[in-house]
Amino acid sequence: MKPALVKEVIKGIFGKPVTIQYPKEQTPIEPDFRGRHYADLKKCVGCSLCAIECPANAITMVKIPEEYIVPRTNAKRLYPVINYFRCVFCYRCVAVCPTSAYLATNEYRLASSNPIDSSQLSLSTTAKAGDV
Amino acid sequence: MGQSLVDFLKGYAIKSYVMKPGRVVVEVEASRIRDVIVKLAEALGRDSFYLSTIEGTDFPERKLIRIDYFLNVFKHNAYLVLRAYLPREKPVIPSVIDLVPGALAGELETYDLLGVVFEGNPYLRRSFFVPVEVASRGVYPLRKDSGV
Amino acid sequence: MFRVVEATHIIEIPIGPQHPALHEPLLLKLHADGERVVKVDVITGYNHRGVERLAEKNSFYRDIFIAGRVCGICNTVHADCYVRALEYMLDVDPPPRAKYLRVLAMELERIHSHMIILAVNAELAGFDTLFMYLMKDREYVMRAKEILTGQRVLADYMMVGGVRRDIDEVKRSRILDLVRRVEERVRYYHEVFREDVTINKRFRDAGRIKHVDALAHSLVGPVARGSGVRTDVRAQDRYDAYNEVPFNVVTEDYGDSYARVMVRLGELHESISMVKYILTHLPQGNPVPDERKLPRRFPEGESYAVAEAPRGELTYYVCSSGGDKPYRVKIRTPSFNNIVNSAFAYVDQMIADVPIILGSFDPCISCMERAVVTDLRRGDKYQVPLKKLAVGGVRM
Repeated sequence: MKPALVKEVIKGIFGKPVTIQYPKEQTPIEPDFRGRHYADLKKCVGCSLCAIECPANAITMVKIPEEYIVPRTNAKRLYPVINYFRCVFCYRCVAVCPTSAYLATNEYRLASSNPIDSSQLSLSTTAKAGDV
Repeated sequence: MGQSLVDFLKGYAIKSYVMKPGRVVVEVEASRIRDVIVKLAEALGRDSFYLSTIEGTDFPERKLIRIDYFLNVFKHNAYLVLRAYLPREKPVIPSVIDLVPGALAGELETYDLLGVVFEGNPYLRRSFFVPVEVASRGVYPLRKDSGV
Repeated sequence: MFRVVEATHIIEIPIGPQHPALHEPLLLKLHADGERVVKVDVITGYNHRGVERLAEKNSFYRDIFIAGRVCGICNTVHADCYVRALEYMLDVDPPPRAKYLRVLAMELERIHSHMIILAVNAELAGFDTLFMYLMKDREYVMRAKEILTGQRVLADYMMVGGVRRDIDEVKRSRILDLVRRVEERVRYYHEVFREDVTINKRFRDAGRIKHVDALAHSLVGPVARGSGVRTDVRAQDRYDAYNEVPFNVVTEDYGDSYARVMVRLGELHESISMVKYILTHLPQGNPVPDERKLPRRFPEGESYAVAEAPRGELTYYVCSSGGDKPYRVKIRTPSFNNIVNSAFAYVDQMIADVPIILGSFDPCISCMERAVVTDLRRGDKYQVPLKKLAVGGVRM
């Protein structure tokens, strides 16, 4: 029996460190990583299924402000707002939506000192009345 | 395998049926649970099974508490479930801890969470798992009327 | 002249709940005479979360995600066991490709979990360098899990009727490449564990458990297989695709911590060959069910599903009384049996062996306790005279 790993350690002293020097270099991440997601108001019908099914109760239905144009199928003029601090990114909302209205990204850099939610991102998918 | 077990326990079984997906359930009297385990050990051999899980369920509208003993008979690739019903006001059942020391974890948890007293088990105490604030109110969290 | 009289003096040493030797909140109160342990109290309850009560208040589908968060290291196995219990109640059979993908996710989980516990065992023995090297090679497995399921740790991959994502040709070949790299490294680490002088000196003859004791105390998983008990739920129940993927059950006979470490290394080799078999023999078809068309209410009934988690046998009992919430969910995790019932293994060992023995049992306290405690004040004192339980065997 002999002490093992001696050769590996000597090789390791002269090699490059394995640690990723974040934030100078970014972590390699998959394109379909489950990151920040938000609803596309051009397709959302305001059915509230995503809010009912969320395991973390992170989605609230909020009235759309008056000046935004939404399709006529959204009669109640509601849209889902995701509170990213409560969300667990299980993507149940994405899977259960009857019109596939959720857009998924792989944005994982979500640490922030102020509460963040998806309202601005969702409202940016549709136009205001009066815009050219 | 399942049928031969049921025939073997004929003296003790009140009735038997099958739980999905193919586990044999045998209902026995609560007071005779120790005899059933001794008889099973004689028939199957002591090193062919072990006690896997002890589980309790509260049925307030039927005024019963149900205790299940799940046995993993690995030599014969089968599971056997022993089921006993206890009255809800005074849920008492003899403990099997000197026959099968592995029942300690399951019996402690069922006492702490449901209030079933296992006679002959000297290690039962409250607050083994349940937080002290809940236990000091005398509340058993898994009962349907506990308000937890 | 003076005569020296030796009197035995038993001192009480608490290990935990906040202690650098343990990674988990568990209190082991050792009563030690000199260097030998005389009796042990296992005190738990620091991290109880109320999962079984919580599961009764949420619908069946939300409980899939709650079940996946009982344990971080073995989350795919928890979700898979719960989903299979629901499928037995509904009499639903998932397509073959979904079964193979489920086994793929679970075996990748087993590989990364065994690498963690081997690294932690090495660290408890003082061999920090080996810990770092094992964790470096575990990163390949985490990337494979990210390619397959979408996240590194919490997979959220199982759904009633199949899995939630499919893999294509590019992903399949990337995962195969990563697993081949891991296989070379695992072969090297097997050599290290066999030959290294520190590991042999600390692990051999620590916490010896006999075959008869392991069965009587309901120990499961690699702890029981290290003592010669030939039980593996994958070979017994043959759930999902385990009736088609070939593998062997690994056992050792001696029953000490070294045997348990060797069982885990053997299982690592088996898991790697299973993953390679699955990736080269995937059947065709669509494994993803449409989540919008699943039934909301479940028929009345009950079912009992078992699975082989990396730590042992995991069982889920689900009872439904008609309606969209379950009536009772009972989770019995392998660490529950292994930690609470195993206090007899520390008796007559040296104090320095206690972390080694605890590490070789693979404690996963978040799996074990499922209710919340917020304060650390102990309510009442509790003595478990372990000498009574430590006398092995079953007396009829």
